[in-house]
Amino acid sequence: MRTVVHALIALVLVLAVVLPSSGQAGPLRIAIHRDEGSLNPYTYQSGYPGWNIMTLVYEPLFTPDADNIPQPWLVRRYTVSPDGRTWTFTLHSNLKWHDGRPFTADDVKFTYEYVRKHAHSRWTPQVRAIESIDTSGPTGLILRLGAPSSGFAAQPLADLPILPRHIWENVAEPRRFNDMIGSGPYRVAEIREGQFYRLVANEAYFAGRPKVREIILPIIRDATVTFTALKAGEIDTTSRALSPEVVGEFEKVAGIKVARGAGYASTILQFNYEHPLLKDVRLRQAIANTINTRLMVRLLLLGYGVVGSPGYIHPDSPFYNPAVTFTASKTKAVQLLNEAGYVDRNRDGIRDAPDGTPLRFTLLTLAGNPIRIRAADLIRTWLRDLGIDANVVAQEDASIIAQVWPDFDTCKGRRFDMAVFGWSAPVMNRTTSLRDLFHSDCRFGTINIGGYKNPEIDRLGADLAVSAQPERQKQILFEMQRIIAAEVPIHVLFYQDGTYAYRAERHNAWVYQKGQGILNKLSFINPPKP
Amino acid sequence: MWRFFAGRGAQYLLVIVLTVMLNFALPRMMPGSPLVFLAGEDVGFLSPEQRHQLYALYGLDQPQWRQFLTYAANLARGQLGYSFQRGRPIAHMIGERLPYTLLLVGTALILATLAGALLGALAAWRRGSALDLGSLGVVMLFESVPSFWLAMIFIAVFAAGLGWFPVFGAGTAGVALAGWPLLVDRARHIALPLATLTIITIPGIYLIMRYSMLAVLGELYIATARAKGVSERAVLRRHAVRNALLPVATVFMLNLGFIVSGATIVETVFSYPGIGRLLYEAVLNRDYPVIQGTFFIITVSVIAANILCDLLYPLIDPRVRQR
Repeated sequence: MRTVVHALIALVLVLAVVLPSSGQAGPLRIAIHRDEGSLNPYTYQSGYPGWNIMTLVYEPLFTPDADNIPQPWLVRRYTVSPDGRTWTFTLHSNLKWHDGRPFTADDVKFTYEYVRKHAHSRWTPQVRAIESIDTSGPTGLILRLGAPSSGFAAQPLADLPILPRHIWENVAEPRRFNDMIGSGPYRVAEIREGQFYRLVANEAYFAGRPKVREIILPIIRDATVTFTALKAGEIDTTSRALSPEVVGEFEKVAGIKVARGAGYASTILQFNYEHPLLKDVRLRQAIANTINTRLMVRLLLLGYGVVGSPGYIHPDSPFYNPAVTFTASKTKAVQLLNEAGYVDRNRDGIRDAPDGTPLRFTLLTLAGNPIRIRAADLIRTWLRDLGIDANVVAQEDASIIAQVWPDFDTCKGRRFDMAVFGWSAPVMNRTTSLRDLFHSDCRFGTINIGGYKNPEIDRLGADLAVSAQPERQKQILFEMQRIIAAEVPIHVLFYQDGTYAYRAERHNAWVYQKGQGILNKLSFINPPKP
Repeated sequence: MWRFFAGRGAQYLLVIVLTVMLNFALPRMMPGSPLVFLAGEDVGFLSPEQRHQLYALYGLDQPQWRQFLTYAANLARGQLGYSFQRGRPIAHMIGERLPYTLLLVGTALILATLAGALLGALAAWRRGSALDLGSLGVVMLFESVPSFWLAMIFIAVFAAGLGWFPVFGAGTAGVALAGWPLLVDRARHIALPLATLTIITIPGIYLIMRYSMLAVLGELYIATARAKGVSERAVLRRHAVRNALLPVATVFMLNLGFIVSGATIVETVFSYPGIGRLLYEAVLNRDYPVIQGTFFIITVSVIAANILCDLLYPLIDPRVRQR
């Protein structure tokens, strides 16, 4: 008996030494870089990680899987009518709100109607396609659409989080409402504005017990401080991607692993299509031909990235058209310029247009982003080589937007020449992204900041929006990529990979969601069984 | 006397009115719009009607003069309004941040004033000595060091390197502490930002004290004191330092008003939840009401500090009283 006791004591002592004191028992600390409001659907701030954290608390009917394909989550089974207009769902029967009240189809109906009434930039447009919503019993739901919608499963189904009717039906000013009763695997336990959020696992979650019991999300504004805190063990991971130059360093730190995957955020050279010179496709092609994107990936991203596809779509996306390729050639660039009559007429080293206007442009770029500044500087050097003068101007975000995308409204025009710009990952995930990026009507081309116009693209874009069949969508998107590659309204420079460092002994079940990162619901809970 | 106060009162009122107008105008003169922060990242997919609806929700569709009148009327009733971004009353937001900032910047100001005045006085007293030249050199060095750089060095050496202090925050996040452990936790978190802020505040005060002291030491009454056989220590303490302290006291009182404005850079680097960071983030987010509210509070406290200075100065400098 005594030996058993001694052995037990020895074991405890050994374990106490071996296991770090802050082992699995303590909360998981994930630094985020900005305040995310009260984390309810009307107050969260950023797409990543804000939306991802918010959906741990408030859940959409579907959830994107690791490949970013929407899969039913709160829904046990569903059918779509052959014309693509009637969607019939059966919800899981054991869904509950955090306050214990049952989650029913009635809450879904309420939410879809609520966001229609109370404008939300993200969700109000998504529910526009819905003509009628009916429930049958607590778990049956039927949505009828006016026309088939290409991205309906992604948005709103896998995007719009459901609100509890019994709480929100009396809320007239959602943006000032700070209640946090959701249905998700985590409950909001504490918010210290400007300091941290504390989430605790919802032990009664219908799909099982979440993998981490408590999550603390400290807000650290500064990138260097974030990574220092990670190295010092004060945080376990962060929503910030490692910058390329420190990836190698972090891979060598004991206990830290780096998750790497495709990044869907793009860095592009944006042309102003309304500029009297840049509206000439030959000039845009010539400029694209001077830019060595392969070298950019090696030099600026140290290889942690993918060379831009000429049709915008990332090679890892299921909609990528591999037949559309582009290889820059300086000879080609010179040939294009000479043929189009852009030659140096006054011997000042800068080429001039046939009417004598010198090829001098301003190249805008974001002051806070060193990679974009260096990309702009490389472009300036290469263009100078060719006899084109690009003056790099780095400004803060709001100033750039004011020139490139006044009021975030493409209907309000633009006043710039060229800009090193970029779009976040969700733009790649939208089925209609190529229409949004290039449709000439500003109501559809909501992010067509260059003012590109092409009737063929407009027609394909309109067709795309109402195509519910993935095969048909693919066909249209392939054609659109071909046209964009030939017309160069933008020139895609690269997509930076996502590289996220984490302390493996604190949590090792991270799921890298393609194009985005490791901070998502799949890292904390396994999908429910149907 | 009353005339003097009435005159001052009118002046201060004018300053307040002007700053209220400036506070309103300045954020709106910045390029960019609060829309993206009202709407989130999907701002690009808004329809024109929704855009208008959002603007209307925040009164931003009104003409500027009407927005100003609404703002001024609310302010007159003591209401700072709601944050665009957080939807919370601004008074609450400022109220939450204020204790952190008062503790950090207030303590730094007191420590820096004591250290700066002491060092400045000693340096002037031993003018040309190793102490004087050495301290002058060190102070000049810190005068020219950017605060974020110093903060980063402190983090690298004392937090990440030696592990003596935490890297960020005002307290260990999400751990409920009370009593001594709480106090120790807070103290460990404030140590590095406080050290940074104190060190970068010392040079200004040191230089003022040193030059003021040098001027005083050249005065005839110092020579007189020495001539009548007053001991060196008494000359230093009773005759020189007390008179040389006047400009330092003025600067200290004026700085009191700015305590409220926080220390943006230090608070941001250390993720310390003070007013400076609130303001910085409000500017980044174009959260007009928060910018206005914070500036208003700062203005009021700077003016309050001025009034305090006006009232206290005659007590510490009898020459003013006789006017």
